[in-house]
Amino acid sequence: MRLDLRRYAKPLAESALSVLIGVAVGTLLVILAGYSPVVFFKALFGGAFRSRNAFLDTLSYMVPLTLTAISFAVAARASVFNIGAEGQMYIGALVANAIGVMALPNGAHQVVAILAAFLAGGLWGWIAGILKAKRQVNEVVSTIMLNWLAFYLVNYVATYHLYDPKAPYKTEYVRETARLPELIPRTSLTLDWVLTILIAFLMFFLVWKTSLGYEIRATGINPTAAEYGGVDPSKVISISMFLSGGAGGLAGAFLVLGRFGFITTTLTNILNWGFDGIAVSLVGRNHPIGILFSALFFALLYNGALEVQVATATGGKTGVPIELVLAVMGIIVIAVAVPGLWDMVQERLLLRRKRVEVRGEAAGTVGGE
Amino acid sequence: MAEYAIEMRGMVKIYPGGTVALKGVDFAVREGEIHGLLGENGAGKTTLMEILYGTRSPTEGEIFVRGRRVEIRSPRDAMALGIGMVHQHFTLIPVFTALENVVLGDEPVRSAGLLDVQAARARVEELMDQTGLHVPLDEPVENLSTGERQRIEILKMLYRNADILILDEPTAVLTPLETKELFAFLKRMRGEGKTIVFITHKLREVKAITDRVTVLRKGEVVGTVDTAEVSMEELARMMVGREVLFELEKKPREPEEPKLIVEDLWVRGEGGDYAVKGVSFEVRGGEIFGIAGVEGNGQTELVEAITGLRLPDRGRVLLAGEDVTGARPHHLYARGLGHIPEDRHRRGIILEFTVAENSILGLQRLPPFMNKWGVLQESVVRDWARKVVERFEIDTPGIDAPASALSGGNQQKLIVGREIMKDPKVVVAAQPTRGLDVAATEYIRRTLLRMRDEGRAVLLVSADLDEVLMLSDRVGVMYEGELMGVVRPEEVTLEEIGMMMGGVRLEDIKSGGAKAEAESTGG
Repeated sequence: MRLDLRRYAKPLAESALSVLIGVAVGTLLVILAGYSPVVFFKALFGGAFRSRNAFLDTLSYMVPLTLTAISFAVAARASVFNIGAEGQMYIGALVANAIGVMALPNGAHQVVAILAAFLAGGLWGWIAGILKAKRQVNEVVSTIMLNWLAFYLVNYVATYHLYDPKAPYKTEYVRETARLPELIPRTSLTLDWVLTILIAFLMFFLVWKTSLGYEIRATGINPTAAEYGGVDPSKVISISMFLSGGAGGLAGAFLVLGRFGFITTTLTNILNWGFDGIAVSLVGRNHPIGILFSALFFALLYNGALEVQVATATGGKTGVPIELVLAVMGIIVIAVAVPGLWDMVQERLLLRRKRVEVRGEAAGTVGGE
Repeated sequence: MAEYAIEMRGMVKIYPGGTVALKGVDFAVREGEIHGLLGENGAGKTTLMEILYGTRSPTEGEIFVRGRRVEIRSPRDAMALGIGMVHQHFTLIPVFTALENVVLGDEPVRSAGLLDVQAARARVEELMDQTGLHVPLDEPVENLSTGERQRIEILKMLYRNADILILDEPTAVLTPLETKELFAFLKRMRGEGKTIVFITHKLREVKAITDRVTVLRKGEVVGTVDTAEVSMEELARMMVGREVLFELEKKPREPEEPKLIVEDLWVRGEGGDYAVKGVSFEVRGGEIFGIAGVEGNGQTELVEAITGLRLPDRGRVLLAGEDVTGARPHHLYARGLGHIPEDRHRRGIILEFTVAENSILGLQRLPPFMNKWGVLQESVVRDWARKVVERFEIDTPGIDAPASALSGGNQQKLIVGREIMKDPKVVVAAQPTRGLDVAATEYIRRTLLRMRDEGRAVLLVSADLDEVLMLSDRVGVMYEGELMGVVRPEEVTLEEIGMMMGGVRLEDIKSGGAKAEAESTGG
């Protein structure tokens, strides 16, 4: 139950090696396309540090990445594969936006909007949880379907009810009383960054220090033993999906109350963070502290991607096309995610094998000699 | 022909973690004998044989097969030398038929790469007739009994022309009748010149079936002897290095009021049919009530229904006077139930959790382990874990080590310790010593007797007949979901128990009906 630093040495080394492999493969791609890999990677990894604003913007990218990753991780600890952070985030964003345009006093306004978004996202996640727990509906299928439901629901409400009469392509701005204060004036780094770090530590506390966390982990590793231990696995699965959805909802709320203040009616400004969160979580090994570092890494890449296009444009030559940047980023992300993904796949297979064994044999098992 | 079918010289195996499993073992098996390989868990029996079968590589050592030095790097190499191994855990594909499993990997193929089913069937049927090992060939393996699966594993090896057979604890999964059949088969195989290595920790089986026996202890050979020339007591001494008590002292004790009452319980099994059909009994304080019977006769479902893991259809369960029918496990634990589950890896322990975490499984929501905010009290948990480890002499690197780092016996001690430290009024122990070595078995049995002497009610369900008869004050025999009778061990003969296990009711045995005896299949 203690924090053992040695336990983190192996995943850290694996991640570092993976980055190198990703860069090596990416280098080939960049050379093939006729650009200098030195300039390319200097910009990709260094872009975030080119200016104070760029760096602060990078930090603020961490917010949705961390929260959607936590959404994935909490469910993953209970062995539930939540692909639905994306939709849970839409719902959170919509609810935060809807409450944000109401008239409420500063301070209370943010709190109400954030809590409501958490609850709404949580309920959205809980639907998939309860379907899995009670009706054995595969959560991958149900969360993907719920993503689309959320997309069109938010799209509909934004288009017909919440739209800004002066700019109907987007929703009305949330009121100043609902906006999260800027940590540093006139930058995109707002209070939600601090809240996000706190939430990551809260997840650590919840999963490793509370009875509920104990039960979530027990259910995730060995559901039959958890049941023996007095745990109701269906309850734990629905609770963890509620918390998972809540984290997704918060991601949406913070995007609206912090960075943007609105959503476009086709959701373009908040799209895809939920899916990125899956990768962030895998790279961070579904561990909240790992997720914080992994989210920072992803944020650096996102910011660097913009810089790459500028930096590689020399003389009359245009910069690297964004597609190539995304491809290289994709290679790095896949390389980095492989060890974590491999662990998860192995665990799943192991669980299945155990179940087959158990079903097949009543025999007692003896540890290998 | 060389004297030895197999000779292994100076075998050393050091695992990557630094564990020394074999410390220079010399092992030789004569052509055409049944050679026992005896030792406690962790003695190195399986490791030695896995090296011979090519699934593990030795750190040092040489292997000779029929006098010729060989390198065995994989089971394929072993198979080519005529060596076959049947593992403790079967390696069959559940959805394939018996026939498909036997020929898998070595299928007769027709010209177009098609499976030649007729040829396969003909060969396997011939093999079954030769060996007397019969299985329904077209049935998917998942529908077959454990004994039948073992036969398939053996057929698989013989199909590949193995003439040196290694069997790893083959009787652990068998009923007494199946064990008898297996032994008859092994003797037939010996008659046909096959060589057999029989891994076991059961002394009685060594005496019953082997010609010679090699005893391993902690990675070293204690000795190789002719079985006929040693007594069970001598073998036991070689195996554990000290005298083993075969008889446990059991003080006479006046039972108190009933603490667990089961009334006309009906429970459905996995398939939806009734696995328990109207079972009634009571267990008093200061009493061990044993349930004997061939496995799969409803014992598992009965235990699950009593311990809150399965909902009974009809009937009542009373725990310390309170109706707890259908209550969930945490409710039962809070009311004084301790449960040592049948399958420790499936139910009793979470291998990836630490010893400390495992020591509170089932207690995680009870004070003082949890405070009113739902936070686990780490120092309380750690103190508790230390106490369990200390009191039950659990051999572990520490309370922060994962349970998977413990041997099977110590894992079981952890479970037993946890359940007993709860200070339960009623203890339900299902197969509590299965797969454990002699020392751990004795420890667990003593603990159960102590529970009884302290006035607790103990329900003991075990497929080990000796265990049930040795420990219990009263014994009920289960057959197809019903109790055939309840007897006192000192007042019953083995024949009577055997008949009940085979489905004859106690009253029919007592009335001595010839019909009943004709129906009896023996135990």
